[in-house]
Amino acid sequence: MFGYGLRRLLGAVLVLWLAATLAFVAMQLTPGDPAQTLLAASGASPEEVARRRAQLGLDDPMPVQYARYLADLARGDLGVSWLHGRSVGRMILEQLPATAELAVAAAILGAVLGIVLGLLAALYRETWVDTLATGLAVLGLSTPVFWSGLLAILLFSLYLGWFPSAGGGDLRHLVLPAATLGFALSGSVARLVRAQVVEVLRMPFVMAALARGLPLRRILLLHVLRPAVGPAVTIIALQLGFLLSGAVVTESVFARQGLGRLAVQAILWRDLPVVRGVVLVGAVAYLLTSLLADFLQVWLDPRLRGEGVSS
Amino acid sequence: MRRLLIFLLLAAALATGCTPRPGGRIVYGLTLAPTGIDPHINASAELGIPLTSVYDTLVYKDPKTGEFVPGLAQKWEVSEDGKVYTFYLRRGVKFHDGTPFNAEAVRFNLERITSPDLASQKARFMLGPYERTEVVDEYTVRIVLKEPFAPLLDSLSQVYLAMASPTAVQKWGSEYQLHQVGTGPFVFVEYVPGDHLLLRRNPDYAWGPPVYQHRTAQLEEVEFRFFTDPATRSPALESGEADVMGEVPPQDATRLQGSKDFRIEPVAIPGVSLMLFMNTTRPPLDDLRVRQALLFGTDRQAVISAVFRDTSPVACGPLAAVTFGYNPMVCEFYPYNPDQATALLEEAGWKDTDGDGVRDKGGQPLALDLYLMGWGYMPEVGQLLADQWARLGVRVNSQVVSYPEALQIAQEGRHHLMPFNLSGSDPDILRKFFHSQAGFNWSKVSDPEMDNWLTEAARVSDRDRRADLYSQVQTRVMENALVIPIRDYVNLNGVSNRVQGLRFDAQGWFPWLIDVTLAR
Repeated sequence: MFGYGLRRLLGAVLVLWLAATLAFVAMQLTPGDPAQTLLAASGASPEEVARRRAQLGLDDPMPVQYARYLADLARGDLGVSWLHGRSVGRMILEQLPATAELAVAAAILGAVLGIVLGLLAALYRETWVDTLATGLAVLGLSTPVFWSGLLAILLFSLYLGWFPSAGGGDLRHLVLPAATLGFALSGSVARLVRAQVVEVLRMPFVMAALARGLPLRRILLLHVLRPAVGPAVTIIALQLGFLLSGAVVTESVFARQGLGRLAVQAILWRDLPVVRGVVLVGAVAYLLTSLLADFLQVWLDPRLRGEGVSS
Repeated sequence: MRRLLIFLLLAAALATGCTPRPGGRIVYGLTLAPTGIDPHINASAELGIPLTSVYDTLVYKDPKTGEFVPGLAQKWEVSEDGKVYTFYLRRGVKFHDGTPFNAEAVRFNLERITSPDLASQKARFMLGPYERTEVVDEYTVRIVLKEPFAPLLDSLSQVYLAMASPTAVQKWGSEYQLHQVGTGPFVFVEYVPGDHLLLRRNPDYAWGPPVYQHRTAQLEEVEFRFFTDPATRSPALESGEADVMGEVPPQDATRLQGSKDFRIEPVAIPGVSLMLFMNTTRPPLDDLRVRQALLFGTDRQAVISAVFRDTSPVACGPLAAVTFGYNPMVCEFYPYNPDQATALLEEAGWKDTDGDGVRDKGGQPLALDLYLMGWGYMPEVGQLLADQWARLGVRVNSQVVSYPEALQIAQEGRHHLMPFNLSGSDPDILRKFFHSQAGFNWSKVSDPEMDNWLTEAARVSDRDRRADLYSQVQTRVMENALVIPIRDYVNLNGVSNRVQGLRFDAQGWFPWLIDVTLAR
């Protein structure tokens, strides 16, 4: 158990280092000079642009920049945004809650909707229920968020007036964006759950449970859904990237604050400190969700419990 | 006595009946998430929309006359050599935190802006050849320049050079932008980045410039929210989530114009029109005839109709028609004339010898690289132009790139054509584009005479002389076919009919919120 924890920790450090390095390399390869991007429209002279470049440390050789960056990171210093002139750590902390709120709400909605659709489709396989549920799943999978979000605004905000279309703050503001993003997520979950349930229904232990005359509801909940949902949990955790990238669009459509918009702006302006900071936060979020998913899956499916880990 | 009473009652009734009641709150929709909102540091135009009402500037520019009027400076003098500006400051002005405004505060602000540590992205460069600020006495301050700089007053009239409370700046350091303190008609209450910004009425305000109509703000609160996705702007207005919305897309604007609850207030923005810069150093655009052919072969009216739904004027030259120094003669150049375009291309030796619909010369097809940025309807404009030029036998390879990439492409001269526009009320803006050393010299022009005109016009203070010089520059730009002007920028503001008295400053972007009232 202790060895497992240590391995996991080392793995986490490695992932963080890789993410930090990738962010560094990717921005080095992206065309465009940050100093010029910041100053061009002001009519700064070439000398003034060169001075700013030196000030930002961009004149140093790449290994020097990389070493300085890692050293700052090791001290927990994410630096100062070149564009905003504020601490990157503070800026991320300001935006993180809104994005986390949206991602968690969308993940829950997507999971519940996906599981319900998948279960219905599997239980009523090859009937109109299956067709409808699978159809909805495909619609969720294939509808771009910017479009479904706009439709949701037009219907629920403009015509029905049920929910506000813009901004954040309370739960009412969260409904439309979370539903839009959750609907997109539910598609992949539903398809997976359907396949899993269809498989589990063929298992001997389901037959045995049926033969023992257990109530159908109990069989479905305990014997079928638990093992079938396990892989779905992994899928949802792996969809974090989708949630974050979808959040970029969702935040923009619903005029919400969030890390996504911060990241996009930083990339467009070559604001390297912010880009690196957001990438790191994304990596940490990935590590945490995959850890959580592992525990959840073990809890849901006792077959996966190894010796010594079981409860 | 009774007569007096009746008179007073009548007067009171009239007063309450005619003037909309003070108070109330509006939501103002901004269109970009600003890149940071410290006016001394950051460069976005969006920051000025709320902050123009938080701060005061030394002078103001009257949008009607183009003249400068007193602000925090009651009067000012410019030395004979144009290098020393002396400002006599208004007394009794207080920042929102109680700090008195005086000459020392002006010096503090200008030193802050010009300090390399602040890494200003715009304000520093608006001061041009700034050297230092001298405090003469408590209410007299002198700005000393290294060279004469005619646009200085225009710069000082903008929020980027507004006066911030030295106490607050020192207290908050790099977090000042979340705690801004000015002397203006509204107090900065809070800013939640990416979500909203809130202003509240400053009841003590009594030192507004003559261009303001009210002594204090009529609204109690103004909240700003960010609507970055253009498609969401008119729904937000129509669902009542915003009362004013900037940059409504043209198709939504034409629809809202027919509504009884909303109106569109178009504001023409001075500056450099949306135009395509032609790289005069890269063949085949090094040939004047080819550049002229593209101008004659461009049906700008069709572009304005299709993309902008006739909500913007056709641009004739490099300066928008509402800019000081605009030369209307540029409209004589290059009316739409495809026959002349064809003749010029033939004359330059470009003929379609292999019958593929694209002209060629010496085995090379007449193909042009067009790089576009994804904003400001540039992709749509580019698509239409490519279609129009295809009819002339010109092939366009267009590609959408990011702004930093566009800057790099332009610097390396890898483009044939690249569009841009920039707002600014002083015609010195032309120097950023057509001086041989300019950062935005995307036409790659090198014309010593034009360099001299632009340099001189930035130095002389005589308005007529400046206008003449800029007229010459505009004529030269069009004679040499350096650019293809498309559209003068117009900001289509969607406004709820309950909002009255919305006016904008000389830059066209920044509302004077003090005078905004709510209809009953």
